[in-house]
Amino acid sequence: MTEKILASLRALHLISAEQADVIATHEREKPFSLYYELRTLLSLGVTLLSAGLGLLIYQNIDTLGHGVIVALIALISGAGFAYAHRQRQPFSWRATPASTGADYALLLACLTLLTLVGYLQYQYNFFGSRYGLLVILPTLVFFYCAYRFDHRGVLSMALTGLAAWVGVSIAPVSAYTANNYALPHLDAVAIALGLGLAAVGLASEHQDRKKHFGYTYVLLGSNLALVALLTAMFRGSYEAASFLPPLLAALLIIGLSGALYWYARRTHSYIFVLLGALYGYIAVTYLYFQLSELNRDFEVTAFLYFPASAVGVVLLLLNLKKIVGSHEQKGI
Amino acid sequence: MSKKAYNEQWIFNREVQDTARRWGKSKLLLPEQVQAIGAAFPSEFYQPHLFIRIALFVFTCLANMTAAGLVFLAVMGIGDYRSGSEEVRILLGCLLCGGGSLLLLETLISANHLYRSGIDNALLYLSVAYLAVALVISYGLLLPLSLEPDDLQEQGLLWPLLAILAAAMLTAIIRYADPLAAVLTLLLYLGIVGTVMLRLPLGKALLPFALMLACAGSYWLVQQLTRRPDYLYYRPAVRTVKFLTLAFFYLAGNYLVVREANALLNGLPYSVQISFAPLFYFFTVAIPLLYLYQGLRRADRIFLYAGLLTLVFSIYTYRFYRSVLPPEWALTLAGTFLILLSGWALRYLRPARHGLTSEPANTPSEFSQLNLESLVMSHVTESTMQVPEPGFQFGGGQSGGGGAEGKY
Repeated sequence: MTEKILASLRALHLISAEQADVIATHEREKPFSLYYELRTLLSLGVTLLSAGLGLLIYQNIDTLGHGVIVALIALISGAGFAYAHRQRQPFSWRATPASTGADYALLLACLTLLTLVGYLQYQYNFFGSRYGLLVILPTLVFFYCAYRFDHRGVLSMALTGLAAWVGVSIAPVSAYTANNYALPHLDAVAIALGLGLAAVGLASEHQDRKKHFGYTYVLLGSNLALVALLTAMFRGSYEAASFLPPLLAALLIIGLSGALYWYARRTHSYIFVLLGALYGYIAVTYLYFQLSELNRDFEVTAFLYFPASAVGVVLLLLNLKKIVGSHEQKGI
Repeated sequence: MSKKAYNEQWIFNREVQDTARRWGKSKLLLPEQVQAIGAAFPSEFYQPHLFIRIALFVFTCLANMTAAGLVFLAVMGIGDYRSGSEEVRILLGCLLCGGGSLLLLETLISANHLYRSGIDNALLYLSVAYLAVALVISYGLLLPLSLEPDDLQEQGLLWPLLAILAAAMLTAIIRYADPLAAVLTLLLYLGIVGTVMLRLPLGKALLPFALMLACAGSYWLVQQLTRRPDYLYYRPAVRTVKFLTLAFFYLAGNYLVVREANALLNGLPYSVQISFAPLFYFFTVAIPLLYLYQGLRRADRIFLYAGLLTLVFSIYTYRFYRSVLPPEWALTLAGTFLILLSGWALRYLRPARHGLTSEPANTPSEFSQLNLESLVMSHVTESTMQVPEPGFQFGGGQSGGGGAEGKY
């Protein structure tokens, strides 16, 4: 293939003969890059090791070797943090890429830290009944590490922890009240948190404070908000007492989908087009069938609604390029 | 009408553009040259970003299937309903939907310059699916039998059906060069070999060897195809088939698969030791190592990935029959081993050794440190002799791991 391309480039005098020779030699002699494969193996190793240690600590809880294992985990975690600290770059609000080793050492340290904290609570009841602390403390550490060492993986761990903290600290309270009332409340929190995270993402891009973190914030936040809104919408249709009228939920979903579409166009992160299209379509369909309940004659159109609306979405997506204008595709 | 659905020249031009961009990043070409090449080799395909393609695929499927629902509703509802005509009606519906989708597919490809854009994938898969169902129904109508696979196999009539389907798939591949159609063809081919073997007296015992031989045959065919001048058109399909051929070659000789399949075929309640066991032990161990060696030596990612995956399956095979370590220890040790191995390799291969490197492919290598500008004459008219921008470096790179999504 290389020869064919070089020959056709030469035929149009787009490259010189010397250049063609150099390129041919380069293609023949260039080494085989194992960069992504090795990184994948490394992250697989980190995941396996932390999972293995997490099991090991509980399997051997009554045996003699138990203390050794706890000490070992603490040592691994400490060593990971120490290594990441030693290799750190000066703090900046911009991207400061760290070395591969430091990246994965930090990831391993954070994962083992979680195991350690969980174990402390299990064995010594360290945090008592303040379960919120159990989650929020590592989360805070993760947030600090994500920003200090510029690590998007740790950032998404922190965001997961934050969501869990919100969920966990609410669910035990609601266990005392009736579940029916509690769940919509959880929805409200999830919607608020999701929208809040998305807003943080937008702000960090707008203010140029760790701009490259914006994607993680907006993706996790908007997805959380959309899922919560969707459950609120469907629950609201058969339950009278809901904090959010289903109609409003549907409109919110459509609004959020539009916002995601706008964001995707701005940042060329087209995963948001997919999210917006899927959730937006569900909301529009819901609204359509709400409308058809008002008028019985409307029902016949349901047969035509699905093909017609899906074709409509396809046409919309097809014309996306005309709206956005052509450019080299990038983004995630 | 040409044999190929997509414009071959544009596919070549797209390849030229991509390669030129890669060379530009390796500083083998000047940015102006890359631009000039892009202008000289235009490709008018509509190829949006992956996620938009997924969205297009989903909504095209939805539109097509709901529209097909309407067609079936009409076909089933028309005229008086006689018993026995149900199959004919479904056949008619399938033919209508398949033909309509195919027609739409052809029109859209030529009108909108689609090339694996999600829409054409969806229409192709759906129309092939409708037509395949139509083929199966007409096969059933021609035969006085039920279409149960077991009954057909009893009569020796299963493999002709598979062969007809494979022929239909092959037509789709020749025209559209679709990877998924190629996968299905490979599966049908192996299915034909399997069903034919099982009807032979010694078939059950020789089945693994026959399948391995069949895979070797398809691998040879794949190698032949790479020498064709229009290989580029079929490259995605050929690569997919190559990977699956390697995988099935291994699976046909894997001890676990052979032993469990043997028990299944002979109706045993639990699997027993098989004949030629040492041979299958050997296959289970040797094939992954062979793949890995080939992958690293020939810089072939398909072999490398096949080797890694089959190695994992070999370890699973071993642990399936012999419990050597409790899982938590196995996880811990495997994790430690992987970290140490990849950490060592990342360091050891930093200046490339033995033709391997741990650096990302497009960073300026030592090779590109050669002062290429001195070599570049004024061949490119619009190239003003300015110093190329320092190309942007890949490197570092963040891991996106641990991205669990909080859902309630």
